[in-house]
Amino acid sequence: MMALVAIPAAHAARRVGPGRAAAVGLAVFAGASLACGLSSHLITLIAARCVQALGGAAAVTAALELLPATVGSERRATALWVGAGATGAALGPAVGGLLTELVSWQSIFLLQAPVAIAAAVPILTVARHEAATGIVAVELRRTARPHVLANLALAMVSAAIAAALFLLVLLLIEGWRLTPIVAAIVVTVMPLSALAGGRLGSLAPSARARAAAGAILVSGGLGGLALLPKAEVALTLPPQIMVGVGLSLVLSALTETALGGRAPQALHGGWTISARHAGVVVGLLALTPIFTADIAQQRRDAIDAGTAVVLDSRVSPLLKIELAQRIEGRLEEERGRVPTIGPAFEPLPDDPADRADVVQLRSELEDQLDRGATHAFSPSFGLAALLGLLALVPIGLARRVDL
Amino acid sequence: MSSGRRSRVLIGGAVAAAVALVGIYLAAGGSSYTPAKTQDPCRDRPWRNPEGIQQIAEQFSLSALDGAACELGVTRETLARALATPESRERFTQRYEIGDAELARAIRAGLLRAVDDAEDAGALNPLVAVPLREALRRIPVDEAIELIQNARSLLDNLQSFLGPAETLLEQFLP
Repeated sequence: MMALVAIPAAHAARRVGPGRAAAVGLAVFAGASLACGLSSHLITLIAARCVQALGGAAAVTAALELLPATVGSERRATALWVGAGATGAALGPAVGGLLTELVSWQSIFLLQAPVAIAAAVPILTVARHEAATGIVAVELRRTARPHVLANLALAMVSAAIAAALFLLVLLLIEGWRLTPIVAAIVVTVMPLSALAGGRLGSLAPSARARAAAGAILVSGGLGGLALLPKAEVALTLPPQIMVGVGLSLVLSALTETALGGRAPQALHGGWTISARHAGVVVGLLALTPIFTADIAQQRRDAIDAGTAVVLDSRVSPLLKIELAQRIEGRLEEERGRVPTIGPAFEPLPDDPADRADVVQLRSELEDQLDRGATHAFSPSFGLAALLGLLALVPIGLARRVDL
Repeated sequence: MSSGRRSRVLIGGAVAAAVALVGIYLAAGGSSYTPAKTQDPCRDRPWRNPEGIQQIAEQFSLSALDGAACELGVTRETLARALATPESRERFTQRYEIGDAELARAIRAGLLRAVDDAEDAGALNPLVAVPLREALRRIPVDEAIELIQNARSLLDNLQSFLGPAETLLEQFLP
């Protein structure tokens, strides 16, 4: 929805004035957030989310017109605007996971409402000035064409980054069976790295170099996630750091390029928002069928491998049959998911020799399930890495003077 | 340092970092971190060195599973899970459209293979193997079905099948 309404919202912001557009946008966003949090049906939730997108698009595009007056320059305004967007996109899953686990999923939306209202307060002054004077604080300059190559690269990189965020959270929760709160803490590495990575941009003034380096780092990090050698949280940290730093470099460079020298800023900001969100949608549409087919197949392979482990173990035969029946019961209870088979082994046998054999069997069985779960995500991460690398094509093709 | 050189250093550093990460994870076995492949049940599977009647019975059951799975065109593991509970057997027969009679015939074929495997492993004397094969060829379908319906009884029944002759058998065990 955001991909569709960002540009019309930017046009509206130009016509009515950025102050009024931002204030109204934030008010609409706050109201829709409340509606999302109070929804009891999927249809009303989706409808409220669409309205959220309308309000959000108006506020975010108008902000780009308001920022230069506050921070002193268009370049600094762009950097701040991009940085806020990148940090928000990376922090979102982590904060969302924490709130879901600690409170409820509804709290994610209910918390957005007061934040949006608080953000609208300082903008009201500008909005009142526009309403009183009838002066729209934006010069209605002739609209320049959007930077197609920079926006195309943004779309591709956004598709890749969406995969990193979405798939990694799923791997941690559905694959490795971590709780949402632990998964949320784990994925904070990415936004923290994005914040730190912003400093690297000063190493090279060339936007093309920053964009290329960022795309390479995003792809490298996704390649690492596709090749995890074990189901260990620590092994996801280096790839996350790489994706986070890359995200910061590439998004800032491409957005600065797409906005630089083009007017009006709100409209071209709208183009970048559309490109990024279209990239996210296309990326998820392309990867979701691959990932769901893979996890189903890997679940079957892991269960087969686990059954072989049970059959060939040194646990005494009658105990083995009892365990097999309990494990089968767990598999049936958790059909369609990577099963948690630990409870099937409780209580452990009293005999020390049997207990040791059963503990080892449980460990080997969980290893096979971890292998299946981890490998299920590999093709999707790999495809996302390829998308990130493909962004180097429009980055390379852009004219030297632009990048 | 010139702007061009700094750009090259930044890009070169990114490439080096990405290649290093992917290379390290590949070297650590990232591309092979997958579930273990299960063996084709129609292939011979060597017995562990069996000691005592209970271990022989267990190996016998596993060979029977291999033989039956080979007949049905499924993995040993799929059949083992199918026989774990009556509900899982029902799901299995519906999914693969296998009737009780076909399943019983496959189990019988599996039991015959198990006799062959036991003899090959030196766990069963040919003097016992020959009459055992004959007995299994004549095992009634409903008894074979009853064996299928309770996996625990498969092992118990095998033990009881062998049990009355246990003393005699042990004289013929290597």
